Amino acid sequence: MPLLEINNLVTTFHTPAGRVPAVDGVSLSIERGKTLGLVGESGCGKSVTAMSILRLVAAPGVIEAGEILLRDASGGVLNLVTLPEPRLREVRGGRIGMIFQEPMTSLNPVFTIGDQIAEAVLLHRDVSRAEARGRALEMLELVRMADPKRRLDEYPHQLSGGMRQRVVIAMALACEPDLIIADEPTTALDVTIQAQILDLLADLRERLGTAILLITHDLGVVAETCDDVAVMYAGRIVEQAPAAALFAKPRHPYTIGLLAARPDRGSRAGQKAGRAGENAGHATARLRTIPGMVPAPQHFPAGCRFHPRCAFARLPECAGAMPELREVATGHFVRCPYADALGEPRRSDSALEGIA
Amino acid sequence: MTSPLIDVAGLQTYFPVRKGLLRRVVGAVRAVDGVSFSIQKGRTLGLVGESGCGKTTVGRSLLRLVEPTGGSVRFDGRDVLAAGGAEMRGLRRRMQIVFQDPYGSLNPRMKVRAILEEGLVIHRLGSAAERLERMTRALARTGLTAAALDRYPHEFSGGQRQRIAIARAIVIEPDFLVLDEPISALDVSIQAQVVNLLVELREQLGLTYLFISHDLSVVEYVSDDVAVMYLGRIVEQAPATRLYAEPLHPYTLALFSAVPSVEPDRRRRRIVLTGDVPSPARPPAGCRFHPRCPLAEQVCRQAEPPATVVDGHAVHCHVAAREVEQAGGDAVAAAARMAVLMAANGSAVAMPT
Repeated sequence: MPLLEINNLVTTFHTPAGRVPAVDGVSLSIERGKTLGLVGESGCGKSVTAMSILRLVAAPGVIEAGEILLRDASGGVLNLVTLPEPRLREVRGGRIGMIFQEPMTSLNPVFTIGDQIAEAVLLHRDVSRAEARGRALEMLELVRMADPKRRLDEYPHQLSGGMRQRVVIAMALACEPDLIIADEPTTALDVTIQAQILDLLADLRERLGTAILLITHDLGVVAETCDDVAVMYAGRIVEQAPAAALFAKPRHPYTIGLLAARPDRGSRAGQKAGRAGENAGHATARLRTIPGMVPAPQHFPAGCRFHPRCAFARLPECAGAMPELREVATGHFVRCPYADALGEPRRSDSALEGIA
Repeated sequence: MTSPLIDVAGLQTYFPVRKGLLRRVVGAVRAVDGVSFSIQKGRTLGLVGESGCGKTTVGRSLLRLVEPTGGSVRFDGRDVLAAGGAEMRGLRRRMQIVFQDPYGSLNPRMKVRAILEEGLVIHRLGSAAERLERMTRALARTGLTAAALDRYPHEFSGGQRQRIAIARAIVIEPDFLVLDEPISALDVSIQAQVVNLLVELREQLGLTYLFISHDLSVVEYVSDDVAVMYLGRIVEQAPATRLYAEPLHPYTLALFSAVPSVEPDRRRRRIVLTGDVPSPARPPAGCRFHPRCPLAEQVCRQAEPPATVVDGHAVHCHVAAREVEQAGGDAVAAAARMAVLMAANGSAVAMPT
C-alpha cells in the first residue's frame, strides 16, 4: 500500500473574477522510501497540489473534492482532507516535513538556527529543551553542515543560501517524517550548490527511508533524483510513469515538447556559412518550441487542455471531450488518445541506440 | 584580422564597503577584478558563472551603468570609459541591454508606445511618423503587432514582456546587445521561443551579443565563444565547441558535471564541490578557486595562476598548465587527464543509472 495516496483532488480558488480550478482532479501515490517528481511550468497547479496535502492552501482556495490518504506502518489510514485541525498539526512537521524554494522565507530571521530546529522538535516530541537542542545539533551534523556547534547560535542571515537550505532540510527531518514535500528546493541555488543539496537529499533518503515528493520545473533534476514522475499541465496530470520510462520514451505531446525545447549538448544555433567548417553537421537551425503559453485557469480550453498548443492535435476530437488518463505501458499513464501513434523516442541519437 | 567590435582589457569594478557613522570606506567588494575579452562583430560571447561571480557587473560595466574602477573598454575602437556625456550617448545608441526580469525592467505606468519611443526621442531618431514605423518594425521583429503599442506591460505574459524589452533594445538599431540572463525568469516552453528569437535577430540584423547566463546548455547553443567566471575573474575561455568538449579548469569541470541532465549517457558522475563561493570582499590568496578545488596544491594557495593558452583556449590553473605542458600542448589529452584527476580526487558521486 502506498504511503500517500491522493484521489481526485480538486482545489479551487473562488476569486471575484470567478472560479479558478487550480488543481482539477489530480490522483497520485507515493510508496514508502520513494521519490516522486511532480513537474510542470508555472501555473500548472503543482505547488497548490503540495499545499493541499497539508491543507495550507490560502483563502480563497478551497479543497472541494477528493481524498488524501496517509498510511502508517501498522496499516492505519488518515484522510488529511477531513482530519480535524489539531490532529493535522501533528502531521505537519511531524509525519510530513516541508522544504520550500526560498529558505529565507521559511526561517525566522530573529531566532537562532538552533532555536528554530529545536522548536520543531519540541512541538512534536515530549522532550526537554536541552534534549531538543541536542537533537538540533544532531540534525545539523546529519545534513553535513560545516562547524555545526557554532551554527546552532547563528542567525539565518549569517549563512549562505546553500547552508540555509541545509537548515530547512534539518528542520524538515527533525521529527523523522515518513514523507518530505520539497517544493523547488534547489531552484534558488547555484548549480554547484544544487548538486550538494540533491546529493544530500538522495543520501538522506537512502539512510532514513524518507519518501520525497519533489516539485520542480527542472526535468534534469527529476531525471537524476526521482523514481517516478508525474507531469502536470493546466491543473491536471497529463503523464505519469517511472522516471526511466518517461525520459526514454515520453508519450504526451506536452512532455515531448518540454524535453525537445531544451538544447541538447553539442547542438548549436545554425549560423552564417563562414562557421560551417568549424561546426558542420552539428548546426541545427532552431530549438523546437511549444507555441503559445500556458492558459490561465479562467481560460482553460474545452477538451484536452493542451490542444491549442499541440503539434499533433486532431480537430475536432481534441477540442471535444477531456481525454482520460490511460495506461499505455506498464505503469506508464498518458492523457492523450493518440499517444501510441506519436510515441517516438525523443532523439534518434546513435549513442543512445548503441546502448539499447 | 579585423579589429573587434568590443575589446575589454583588465576591467575592474569595485564597490566600496562603508561602515560606521561617517560611512567611511573600509574595503571594497571586487565584483570584477581584471577581466579581459574581445568580441568580433556578429559573434556571440557567452559569459557563465554562478551568482556573485561578477558576470552581471561585467555587462553593466561595459555600458557604464556601473562605473568601472579600472581597465579599459573599447567599442569599435573608441574608449568607452573616457567618453564624455555626448559621446557616451552616441555610444549607448549602439550598445543596448536586456535584463533578466521582464517584470522589473519595464515601467508599469508607461504604455509600450512610450517605452519604445523613449530611446528614439533621446537619440533624436526620425520624425513622429518615422518613429512609429520603427516601433512597428521592432515589434514585428519580436513577434508582436502594433496593437501592443497602446497597452501596458501588465497586460502581457512574461514571455511577451521579454519580447517588448528586446524590441526596446533593437528599436534604435544598435550593433551590440548585452543579454543579462534574458531567459532565466521564463518557463521552459517560453525560453525556447525567446532563444530562437535572439538567434533570428542576430542573423537578420548582424548583431553582436554578450550573452550572460548561468544556463550552460543555452550558452553552448547560442555562443561562438564562452568565458567562465569565478569570483570576479575569468578562469577559462575558449571557442564554445572546444570549451564544452575539452574543459581544462577544475571549476569548469565541476560546473559541467553539476548540471542535471535528462540524457542518461551524461549522468554518470557528478563532482560535488564542497563549501560555498567565498566573499568577493575577501578573495582568497593565490588561485581564487583553491579553497574549493580538489586538486589544489601548495602553489595554488600562494601564486595566482597566469593564463595558459593552447590554440585560443585559455585557462588559469597551475595544475592544468602542467598537464598541458606534459601533453606537449595537446589540449584534448590534457583535458582527458584533468577529467581523470577530478574524478579521482573530487568527491565524485556515482549517479544512479
